[in-house]
Parts: sequence; structure tokens; C-alpha cells
Amino acid sequence: MTVDTLMNWFAKLGDFPELAFILAVLICAVPVFLFIAVYALVAIYGELKISSFMQDKVGPMGQGVGLHAGKWGLLQPVADALKLILKEDIIPTSADKKLFILAPFIVFIGAFIAFAALPFNQNIIIADMNIGIFYILAVSSLGVIGLIMAGWSSNNKWSLYGAMRSAAQIVSYEIPAALSIIVVIMLTGTLSMQGIIQHQSGFVWGILPNWIIFQNPFTFLAFFIFFISGVAECNRTPFDIPEAESELVAGAFTEYSGMRYAFFFLSEYANMFIVSGIAVTAFLGGWQSPIPGILNSPAWGLWWFMSKAMFLIFVMIWFRWTFPRLRVDQLMNVCWKGFTPIAMVNIFGVGIWHLMLG
Amino acid sequence: MKKYFANIWGTITTLKTGMGITWRHMMNIKKDNVTLQYPEERWPRPERDIGFEHENYNVIRSRLHVDIDDCIGCLKCERACPVDCIKIDTIKAPTRGEDIPNIGHTGVTENGTNKALVVSRFTIDMSECCYCNLCVYPCPEECIYMVVPIVPSIPLIMNFPNLTVKI
Repeated sequence: MTVDTLMNWFAKLGDFPELAFILAVLICAVPVFLFIAVYALVAIYGELKISSFMQDKVGPMGQGVGLHAGKWGLLQPVADALKLILKEDIIPTSADKKLFILAPFIVFIGAFIAFAALPFNQNIIIADMNIGIFYILAVSSLGVIGLIMAGWSSNNKWSLYGAMRSAAQIVSYEIPAALSIIVVIMLTGTLSMQGIIQHQSGFVWGILPNWIIFQNPFTFLAFFIFFISGVAECNRTPFDIPEAESELVAGAFTEYSGMRYAFFFLSEYANMFIVSGIAVTAFLGGWQSPIPGILNSPAWGLWWFMSKAMFLIFVMIWFRWTFPRLRVDQLMNVCWKGFTPIAMVNIFGVGIWHLMLG
Repeated sequence: MKKYFANIWGTITTLKTGMGITWRHMMNIKKDNVTLQYPEERWPRPERDIGFEHENYNVIRSRLHVDIDDCIGCLKCERACPVDCIKIDTIKAPTRGEDIPNIGHTGVTENGTNKALVVSRFTIDMSECCYCNLCVYPCPEECIYMVVPIVPSIPLIMNFPNLTVKI
């Protein structure tokens, strides 16, 4: 299901290229939006439950008669979503109204359009561009602009601090993330997401999947650098200084309420999925089955991609409820003194390994 | 340079330890769970020996009695009381003279617990007491309980400690 296939199909019906393009894009965009909404509900439920389990609690539960959150609290995320929709939409008097209204949508668009290049299986990819991974890295940085807009327009010291911190953090962590992706691109020789996955087909010695993470020790390291930088780009704990709730109320989102806040929330979860999706595609074989020879049909491809991505999201939640928040200087230390040098060494290492042994 | 790599190694190992702890807690949730789903689950009401035989135990609640010699001053009954009618003051065990060095306690209760505190004040305001019996359950020494009145009238504020100074 790509925009191109849809446009070809429309071309058979008649000669209306502009309308066909808009229709095709809409037909692709609506399922993605629904997917993000449903996935966010699942992820919020998972986060509530996993965090509770890790703290020896039971999380949302419903028992007995009366209003409650359903069996095992399954309706809790629905209730949360309803609450956010029903809440009053407050715009502070001294806020910069245009920017304040625009900011959540820009943050969300940054996360939303990156879904266009995520390969869910052999066939489900909205646009298999020949610059796919570069496109995702480029557009997912768009969220920073939205965050700074939100922080600035709120006219609130906490918001501005949060926005500046988040900008510094995301811009810094783009570098090790991109350097780790370069490792992948060196090995595969393509920027297309499907091309990267096809490069990882097959098995070493008939048992170990030929995924990039297993191809040599430097790529193994690169996976962790990319994934942790990705966690930092999502502003997730332990890198959540932009919205550090014990210091900055809610960072850039302090003044937001109701649906606008929900959009920030949604884009945070969508960003988590994108980071997991890139990590799965670039390092963990995408929709390829980890078992030799079987379960490789498109339906199983969707299952493998989703389960790998959901596992990485679980790891992010696991991080969040284990690690304490980093200080600003520690955060920059990790990025500039830890990840960036190692990622650069990785590029040399992979190159030399590839030349000598590849 | 050595310190740099040592730092990285330390980071990796400590992060692994932390994640292991949360993983174990998540896996053992059935066993370690501390949440009580209140209306459905409750703490069991303990069966307690109230110190004397009475067939209508828990039915007759005439007044509270404290075996002050067994009281260790743990304040559990004071906290359990819903109307705050129990007031307890404690003082640390006075240092003994040279006769009894290093003894560390001021006596032993019937249950064999060493008393580390001296209960200087243990008053129950019977005008406030609602006879709910809640203070009886938490007592670890089983020294506070309801009794049938032996004398026809009791003082409104009962004071139990009888501290005297022997010279």
C-alpha cells in the first residue's frame, strides 16, 4: 500500500492527478492516525501496568460494582483519553496565541510524517523512498521547533527552561544517533528502508539471523548507542530533563491542557514507536523472521515488526522506571564524551572490518 | 584514559544491576504485591487472647484496661485509636548505676520482650472512648484489652503508670 500504487489505481479511473494525489495521501494518512491513537492507548496501558508491577503495585484495577476501570483496568487509557478530550482548553492571557495554538500540531506532525517511511511488512509501507532513513531522521527533528514554540509562547519560566533544555538535548543526541545509522548505511549501501531490511535476510551458519546487530562487534555497539540516543530524543526518562516534573512542573507543556496536551502526549508515544521502528529496521532485521525458513509471509512480517518494536518500547518503559533522571551536565557528558567518540570509532571499526573480513 | 573506560564499564554494570532489580520485581508481582483491593480484600481480623476467659468476649466492652507492666510504649494503640483518646508519653530507659551495668532495658514483659522505654504517661479519656476495640488488636504485648468493670465507678481519665522513685 503505497501512495504510488493508489495514484496508479486512480489514474485508471480518470484524468485528475491533483485530486488523485490528495485522495491517495488522505487514504494513507487516516490509517496511520488511527494506528497512532490505538497504539498510544496500548502503550499507556502497558506503561501504567509495567510501572506498577516494577514498584510492587497492581496498577489500574477494576473490581466489584460501580464505576471502575474494567477488568484489570483495561479501560483506564480510554478514561484518560476521554478526560483529556473533555477538559477545558485553556490559553493563558499573556501567551503568544498563534504560536501557542500551532505548537502541539507541529510537534505531532514531526512524529506523524515519519510514519510514512516505516516498513510494517513486505507490502505495508506508505512510501518506500530511496532516502527513507534519511527522511525519517530529518523530519523527526521537526518536533524540536514545536517544542521551542511551545516553550516560548507559553510565557512561563518553566516552559522556556524546558524548551531550551529539550532543544539542547535533542540536537546533541541527533549526532550519535545519526553516526550509528551511518554504520548501517555503510554496510547496506542504501538509504531505502526496504533495501536495508532486504540486506539483512538470510542466516549465518544456518541459525544466527544475518541482522546488522550481529554482523560485527561495532554494529552491536552501534545499536545500543542508537537506541539510547533515541530514548534521549524522545525525552524519556532517564533523559527527561525537558519535562522534569520535580523541577519544571511539566517543562514545555506546563501551560497546556486538554486536547493540546494530549497531542504532545500522543507525539511522545509516536516518537517512541518511530525510534523503535528505526532501530528494528536498521539493526534487528525489520519484518524478517528470526527463525530460519519459516514464518516469513507478509502477515507474519507485520507480527515480527510489531513484536520487535513493542519489545523495544517495553525496554524504554523499563528504563523509565529503573533509572533516575540525569542532570544537565551529566546528560551532555554522556552524549559528547561517551556516545559521540564511540560512534565515530565505530565508523572506522566497521569500515576496517568490512574491508578486511567482509 | 583508563578512568574513562572504567567509568563506562561501571555505568554498564550498575545499569544492568538496576534493571535486574526492576525485572525481578516485575516478575514476582504475584508474590510481592502490596496493594490491597480494598472492598474485596481486607486484612484478616486477628483472633486475640484478651487475657482472661469470658464467653461473651467482644460483646461486653465496659472499659479499657492496661497491664502497664507489660507495656513497651510502642504507641500502636495510640495510632489505632480513631478518636485519639489514648495519650502515651515515653522516656528513654534511665542509665543504671554501677550495680547493673550494660543491661539496656528496664524490665521484661510477660511475652519476654525487653522494655527499652519507660511509659511515663498512659491516659485513656473514657469520655472520648467509643469502645470500638480497635486498640486491642495491634498491641504486640497483648496488654491493652476490654474488661468488665470490677468497681462500680471509674475515673473519667484513667492513668495507668505508677512511677515511683525508690531511694
